[in-house]
Amino acid sequence: MVEHRLEDWLEEGYAGSFRTACLILGNRADAEEAVQDAFLRAWRFRDALTSVPSIKPWLYRVVVNSCYSKLRQEIPHREHRAGDGELAERMASTSDPASAAERSEVAGVVLAALQRLPVSLRVPVVLRYYADLSERDIALAIGRRPGTVKSRLHEARRRLADDPGILLLGANGALDDSVEA
Amino acid sequence: MPTLDDEFLVTVLHDVGDSFTIPSAGPSAILGRVHRDDDERAGRRRGAGGVGRVGEDGRVGEDAEGAESEEPTPSPLRTARRTIRSTVRSHRILTAAAAVLVLLVAAGGAAVLGSSGPKANTFGHATPPTASPATTSPSTTSPRAPFGVAHTPAGAKAAGSTSAGSGGGVAAPTLSAPATSSAGTTTNGTSNGSATQNAAGLGADAIGQPARIEQTGSLDLHVARGAVSATVDRLDALAGDNNGFVATSQTESGTSGGAPSGTVTLDVPVTSFSTVLGEAEALGKVSQLTTNATDVTAQYVDLQSQITALEASRQQYLTIMTKASSIGDVLAVQAQLDSLQSQIQQLQGQLAVLGSETDYSKVTIVVNETATPPHHRPVAVPSGLAKAWHDSVHGFVAGGEGLIRIAGPALFALLCLGAALLGGQLFWRRLQRRNL
Repeated sequence: MVEHRLEDWLEEGYAGSFRTACLILGNRADAEEAVQDAFLRAWRFRDALTSVPSIKPWLYRVVVNSCYSKLRQEIPHREHRAGDGELAERMASTSDPASAAERSEVAGVVLAALQRLPVSLRVPVVLRYYADLSERDIALAIGRRPGTVKSRLHEARRRLADDPGILLLGANGALDDSVEA
Repeated sequence: MPTLDDEFLVTVLHDVGDSFTIPSAGPSAILGRVHRDDDERAGRRRGAGGVGRVGEDGRVGEDAEGAESEEPTPSPLRTARRTIRSTVRSHRILTAAAAVLVLLVAAGGAAVLGSSGPKANTFGHATPPTASPATTSPSTTSPRAPFGVAHTPAGAKAAGSTSAGSGGGVAAPTLSAPATSSAGTTTNGTSNGSATQNAAGLGADAIGQPARIEQTGSLDLHVARGAVSATVDRLDALAGDNNGFVATSQTESGTSGGAPSGTVTLDVPVTSFSTVLGEAEALGKVSQLTTNATDVTAQYVDLQSQITALEASRQQYLTIMTKASSIGDVLAVQAQLDSLQSQIQQLQGQLAVLGSETDYSKVTIVVNETATPPHHRPVAVPSGLAKAWHDSVHGFVAGGEGLIRIAGPALFALLCLGAALLGGQLFWRRLQRRNL
């Protein structure tokens, strides 16, 4: 039997889980709570890991479920998207103020576009393009079949392509001034 | 349809995701909570002899939560409560719909119970009269009056009647009946009253005078075609057999186009009144029966008293006549005697008529023809197969009636359920939209 250490889990998965939760929830405080709940649950039931093929999708599944719980409980009473002030605070550590402002603006646009997606599409997108999970692992994480994951990803990409905020971004992910004009 | 390529999304999402700074206290907070929880639960888990279980889906199962509880083995009540809570939480729409349905059913049940209180008799039967307090004095013995007619003491006149029609309406005696009176019962349009008591056999009232009851009855009979004359003859014989006589008799042969009919009025002793009625009813099908009883005891006694008083006056005038010395006195007394004699004879005549009316009862019987013989019609006894077929058809019709009867409430319940489900679905969609 593998001996698990919570410190190892946190070191390997906390950052990714927290940022994934931030992208899903669009809210830093909720993400922090969700990830904390997720790690507590995962650790409490770590014995179940013997029956799952891989720890990463299982851990993400716990995180996603915690996010779902947060969305059901908390989000209707809060802003769905992170505010500009929060984004500015996040970017405060950046040395170049101009670059920080632009990154903050891009992040806000992308985050807003993500929040406009339904949760059923947002979660696969975040897991696929941020957490780098395969479609099979995403299917394990969200409890759906891989075909469903594939179609949801396609639908999410289509919607994001039509999103007015994403249209402002250039091919490199920066704001396209010509398009904005 | 344009879609974003994977590389663009990876770049953008990594840029945005990595822009979130990791809370420095996050991992340490988790570690602290985990260690604290581990310390607290270590003892309990050892006591429970197991650990929580979680499914492969990563959800925290209820069983696992049960293992975390204070009690090593959760009580059934607690388990049931937890199960209900979990079910309600995961099936909110169904729970809301079920709650609405339960409320509707409860409201419907309350409405049905509220409307199913005492109902008026809707079968056309008249409500039997409430027995009112007897009007007789305590020292008076009320005689048993036929057909529910109460005997009342002198000075009062009581009359009662029962009538029965084949139309189904059954009229109860219209007079208040004291406790000692026997009420007539009617069945299928016939009246089976108690036997008429002989006036001499009736109980005496306060003045020692037997009750005088006038009784009349009328009967509509339907007999088979061509049996009117024979029935009238039987009625004549019936009157003779019961020491009565035929007062009037009228028969129409029907030559003018109408059906043959006959009307016979019988005068029979009051003791034979119910007997004659019963035997007359047996001669055909009764379509209407009416009986009437009137207590004339007070009138009878009053006449007797007046006659007694007038005879006493007459006797005194006769005494005066013997002492009269002049012709004028004799003529004056004679005139008074003539007047008294005339009044006495008049009252005696009235008394004789009243006595005759109370000694004999009049029964008027109207005999008509019917298309089918009423009494001797053979009743077809269905055989086994016919009865089975009849029962089958009857069951089919009854089933159809039952279906139609419950269709209304069922449709209402279905509509309510549908509305609740639709409302719940719309609410759920709106909730999901808000969450998304």
